[in-house]
Amino acid sequence: MAGRGSPWMLGCKAGQIPVLIMSSFEDVDTEETVTSLHMTLYHPGHQRSGIFQSIKFCNRETLPTSEVVKFGRNSSTCRYTFQDKQVSRVQFSLQLFKKFDSSVVSFEIKNMSKKTNLLVDDKELGYLNKMDLPDKCLIRFGDYQFLVEKEDGESLEFFEIQFFLSIRPLLQENKWLPQKPTPECGSCSPCSTQNNSPTEAGENEW
Amino acid sequence: MPPTLGELTAAVPELDAPREVRLLSMERPLTVLRVSLHHPTPGSATFAYVPPQVEHDASPLLVGRGPDAHLRLQLPRLSRQHLSLEPYLEKGSARLAFSLKVLSRKGSVWVNGLTLRFLEQVPLGAVNRVAFSGIQMVVRIEGGTSLEAFVCCFHLSPSPLIYRLRAEETDERESVPQEQPPPGSGQGAPDHLGFLHSPLQPSPGGAPEIPLQREPLDGALS
Repeated sequence: MAGRGSPWMLGCKAGQIPVLIMSSFEDVDTEETVTSLHMTLYHPGHQRSGIFQSIKFCNRETLPTSEVVKFGRNSSTCRYTFQDKQVSRVQFSLQLFKKFDSSVVSFEIKNMSKKTNLLVDDKELGYLNKMDLPDKCLIRFGDYQFLVEKEDGESLEFFEIQFFLSIRPLLQENKWLPQKPTPECGSCSPCSTQNNSPTEAGENEW
Repeated sequence: MPPTLGELTAAVPELDAPREVRLLSMERPLTVLRVSLHHPTPGSATFAYVPPQVEHDASPLLVGRGPDAHLRLQLPRLSRQHLSLEPYLEKGSARLAFSLKVLSRKGSVWVNGLTLRFLEQVPLGAVNRVAFSGIQMVVRIEGGTSLEAFVCCFHLSPSPLIYRLRAEETDERESVPQEQPPPGSGQGAPDHLGFLHSPLQPSPGGAPEIPLQREPLDGALS
């Protein structure tokens, strides 16, 4: 039977017997790949404090490219929140832009915290400082470490964001976690499940 | 009479902050954006919702037709969110800087000789000429050190604000063929726009700062 999302549509004229017409595969709009942002999150106390409980790990979320994506403690202003009073109400933001003469979109990160500086690799951002986000980089503030990896796509309308959880510190000398392949079913388990032994990576390495 | 910088400094209460923070913030002058606006259609309701002044926090200021726009302009062909003015801080600077970003998927925005399209952005200088959907906008930035908020003072100009201007020589994007009209616009030299030959209207409170030189404009001005 024809249903919502079914490629089969009911078509008929008055007085005629209804026939099922398959919407033409050849006629639909060309699909575009979307830019994907994979963020692997780490905090040494995440298991006991539930700071990432609002984050839907492994869930691919599609957002409009015009959105300014805010991260912080305030759920009314931030799209992604952390249950941690040491996090600023708005900690930082990400937004897309298109460089001149480029066909792909880029990300820009801006520190929105008056209290805590933001580290992007070895660059330090103060309040309202912003910079282009490298395609692969490590974002740090307080005890938080976020590994960010970008995959270019064609679409200028939407982009995807997907979070992963790391139980091990990401700040290891030149050892960032490799990008995880996305399973076909769209689900995945948290990263770094092979080795649960404690590591010596300190919380105050910077 | 537009408010002075001193009046603006004192006019920003921050009731949520402790007293000592409020006093410190009140001592820091606010950045002022003096925005002159012009639309060629006389008596149009384009600027019906434009207030004399608006104070805004450190988030981007949205300009467009939609109800969520902070600067709301009534023009059917304007996008609901057409462009944004985003405050930020350059590394090592104590004064707010601004970046203009195009949010309209359909229209282009002409900024200081550059034609920007969806998601493209440019930093703004002290004086900026902007044109989109027939609207002309000149934005003058008077830097302040307060990072809490900035103020926009709006002036509606009955006379045109922008003429055929050469892009600033310091603009590194001059190599982009900005002087060509946008593809398919069918508009070459927009001589039919009579305002291009009107004398330049002086900016509020000062002599004209925009030199009169000739440069073909893209379709953003019509």
